[in-house]
Amino acid sequence: MAETNPELLTKSFELGYTYTRSTGPVIGHFLTELREGRIVGTRTSDGRVLVPAAEYDPVSAEALTEFVSVAEEGVVTTWSWVAEPISHHLLQKPFAFALVRLDGADVPMLHMVDAGEEGAMRTGMRVRVRWAAERRGSITDIACFEPA
Amino acid sequence: MRQAAERALEDAGCTWKDIDALILGKAPDMFEGVVMPELYLSDALGANGKPVLRVHTAGSVGGSTAVVAANYVQSGAFRRVLTVSFEKQSESNATWALSPRMPFVPHVNAGAGGFFAPYMRLYMERYGVPEHIGCLVAVKDRQNALKNPYAHLQIPDISLEMVMQSPMLWEPIRFLESCPSSDGACALVLADEEHASRSPNPPAWILGTSTRADGSMYAGKDNIHPASLIACAKDVYAKAGITDPRRQIDVAELYVPFSWYEPMYLETLGFCGEGEGWKLVESGATALGGDLPINASGGVLSSNPIGASGMLRFGEAALQVRGMAGQHQVEGARLALGHAFGGAHSYYAMWAVSADKP
Repeated sequence: MAETNPELLTKSFELGYTYTRSTGPVIGHFLTELREGRIVGTRTSDGRVLVPAAEYDPVSAEALTEFVSVAEEGVVTTWSWVAEPISHHLLQKPFAFALVRLDGADVPMLHMVDAGEEGAMRTGMRVRVRWAAERRGSITDIACFEPA
Repeated sequence: MRQAAERALEDAGCTWKDIDALILGKAPDMFEGVVMPELYLSDALGANGKPVLRVHTAGSVGGSTAVVAANYVQSGAFRRVLTVSFEKQSESNATWALSPRMPFVPHVNAGAGGFFAPYMRLYMERYGVPEHIGCLVAVKDRQNALKNPYAHLQIPDISLEMVMQSPMLWEPIRFLESCPSSDGACALVLADEEHASRSPNPPAWILGTSTRADGSMYAGKDNIHPASLIACAKDVYAKAGITDPRRQIDVAELYVPFSWYEPMYLETLGFCGEGEGWKLVESGATALGGDLPINASGGVLSSNPIGASGMLRFGEAALQVRGMAGQHQVEGARLALGHAFGGAHSYYAMWAVSADKP
C-alpha cells in the first residue's frame, strides 16, 4: 500500500430547529395561576400535594384533577451555590439553585434563591417568593426566592 | 398517548398495576426537540419504578417497538407489557430533522419525499408502469379512511381526478399521493398465553415477528426491493408458517407513506412476482372488497404520527383478526400482516397475527 499523508479536515457547524410547545389543562392552570400571583399544586391519591402541579399520580398513574393552593413561603431542602453566574443564568449575581418545599406542599420544586452570599444559605432555611415585575404565565413569574 | 394507553388497557381488561413493563417508541428526539421523552412521560404511562425501554428505529419504530415488546413476552421476562408509540408533528420539525445540514456536503433541501422520489421513477421505468397506478393507491387508501373514524385525513369526495390534479410535490409524487403530518399515538397490551386466553375481547395471536436493517446508502443496494425487507419477510413467514402469502394472508397493513410503495411492497413481500405489483393494484385486488385488502384502515397515507405509524399497522392487523375493525373490517379475516418501514429504506419490522391460537 502506498504511503499517504492525508490532510484531515474539520469543520464546526450549528444545527438548530424551530419547535412549538403547548400546555395541557393541568400545567396550563398552574402557569396561569402563577400569572395571577398564586401557586397551586395537585393532590395525589395518597393525599400528598405536588408543586409544581403534576398531571398524573406518580404512584397510581391516575389523572390528578384536584388543585390545592400553597403558600408563598417554604423551606430549602438542598441547594448548590453558583459563585460565578454565566450570561445564560437568570440571576446576574451569585445565587443558589435550590429545592424549595412550599408550605402546604409535600415535595420540593427547583428554583433559585437570592441570598446574597453563600454563607447565608443553609438547608432548612425559610424562603419566600419574589415575584417577577411582569408575570406572563411561566415558571419565571417567580423571579426567585429570598430569605424569609 | 394517555388516551391510547387507557383504551388499550380497557380493551385488555387490565389496570396500570397489571403491567410489568413499558416499551416505548418514537422517531428521533430531534423531531420534537424533547430529549428522552419516555422519562418525561413516565407518570402518564404508569411507568415509575417499572422497566422502561425505548426503541429507536426511525419511522419503523412503532413496528419494531411492538416486536421488542412481543419478544420480551415470548422470552418470559415480562408477562404483560404496555407498548406505546407516538409523534406530535404539529409541534415538531420532522421533515428537516430527518435530513440535518452537515459540513463538507451541500444540503439537498429535499425532505423525505425528495429522497424517495427518484426510486418511484426507477420503479416505473424498470417495469413500464403507467403513471396513474400511484394515484389509484391514493384513492383507494383515502376511500378506506372514510370508514375509519381514527383516520386523520378524511376527504369525502376523493376521486382519481382529484389526486391526479393535485400539485406535484416531489416529482413524480403528487401531493395527494403523500402522507400527512399528524399527531397521534398507538398503544397495545401484549400478554402471555395465560393472560391472553383470559382477556375480555378476542386476542390476536402473534405467529411471528421480525426486524431487519440495511445501510441507507451502499453501492449496489436495490431501493425498490431492499435486501433487508426480503430477509424480514422471509423470516416472519417462516415463523408463521406462511408459504403462499397471496393465498394465506387475508389482509395486510403495509407502511405506505407514498402511494408507490404499495406495488413495490406487494412484490418485495412475495404477494406477486417482481414487476407485477402494479397489476394487482390496477385489478382492484388490494381494495377493501378485493381478495387481498391492503391498508383497509386508510394507512399511513391517511394518518402519519410518524413514531406511531408502524405500530398502527401492527395494531390494525390485530384488529382485523380480532374482528374489531368496525366499518373497515375485512370479513372473515383470520391471518393478517403488519409491516413498518423507516429511514432511507433502512429499517423494516413485521408481524403476522392470527385469529387462531397456534
